[in-house]
Amino acid sequence: MAVKFFGQFLVEKGIVSREDLLAALGLQDKKNLKFGEMALEMGYVTPADIDRAHIAQFSQDAKLGDILLAMGLLNDGQLQEIVTRQKETHLYIGEALVQVGSLTAQQLQQHLQEYNLDQAPYLPARVELPEGVANGKTWEMVSDLTYKMITRVLGLQFKAEKCRIVSTLDSNYMMAALDLSGDVEARYVLSVSAGVQKMVARAILREKSVEHEPADILEDTVMEFINVVCGNVAAKASQLGEVININPPVTIRPEAEGLPVPAGHIALCFPIHVGEGEKMELLLVIPG
Amino acid sequence: MKTVLVVDDSLAMARLLEKIINDSGEFTCVGIARDGVEAIKMNHSEKPDIICMDMNMPGMDGLTALRSLVALNKEVKVVMVTSLGGVGDKFAEALKLGAKNVISKPFEADDILRILRKL
Repeated sequence: MAVKFFGQFLVEKGIVSREDLLAALGLQDKKNLKFGEMALEMGYVTPADIDRAHIAQFSQDAKLGDILLAMGLLNDGQLQEIVTRQKETHLYIGEALVQVGSLTAQQLQQHLQEYNLDQAPYLPARVELPEGVANGKTWEMVSDLTYKMITRVLGLQFKAEKCRIVSTLDSNYMMAALDLSGDVEARYVLSVSAGVQKMVARAILREKSVEHEPADILEDTVMEFINVVCGNVAAKASQLGEVININPPVTIRPEAEGLPVPAGHIALCFPIHVGEGEKMELLLVIPG
Repeated sequence: MKTVLVVDDSLAMARLLEKIINDSGEFTCVGIARDGVEAIKMNHSEKPDIICMDMNMPGMDGLTALRSLVALNKEVKVVMVTSLGGVGDKFAEALKLGAKNVISKPFEADDILRILRKL
């Protein structure tokens, strides 16, 4: 039901054992050379170059390849060759499981088909963003997965309005917020009316009625929903080679005039219509 | 009947897991801890057969707590129940630290029970 990588799918289903997967992951660690290791093996840099670049990495937030490039220890062509060689020689987890004897090649193909079927609901769809937004592909993925989770987890039918840039986060009954960090930074905010909060609570608690639930439980269900969405965003990002970390979610009770977007940031607003008189918005507060 | 300790900072998720566990008739939930520190204390006091633990929690997170629980008792049976299960590095780290399995959120009740039965 969630975004998964293939090895996890196999262990969860009981197709391969935890021990076999650990053996396959160990084989991947041995065979899949990191950028610096590959650069060394291809003879483009020396161990001393790598040491210098690692020292430089302490004071700047950049990938090893970019640092080697900036230091003049690699050129563009060499960097591309290293990345290409890494891709060409990459041992995937399925193949690693075959090599450790956990699966046959035939079983691998069969389970890959089952995995692709399981993950088909999470294939990306296009979401249109305003022009010129940095890291647009990532925010498209975040909004697309949010829509998919509203359908799959909350079981709600909705109409998504076109994304726009806003300078104030409109007031609403409550907001649940979660900070994303890593290769991109953002504050993920889900703003909901009282009615939408109860829709979320019914789905998360799997109860027909939540009328007698205390306020903290109702708020908590919205926080848990964004925790699930953002965890799956992190999973999807890792499949795309990006690192996104998530922090625990928090609740915000906005003032009547709403919340101003902090200086140096913009907010992408994705209105989500779930019913007459109800209000739901996904807001991504990003540097810009 | 096997006993289970639930560890999750989300009241809602902890309650849902408790309900799935108790309704199964095969397991009983002996307590709910809200973070890693509470989990270690309650593991000592309640001595559960299995621990179902979230990863992303304020205070002591799930992977740090897992490391401590395994250091205290190599045989401890911990299943991580997390929205981060699909992040390959987190999944692998949890298994390497000693988790018996990792279940992704959202999940079905059957997913949880099938994995608990195997422990």
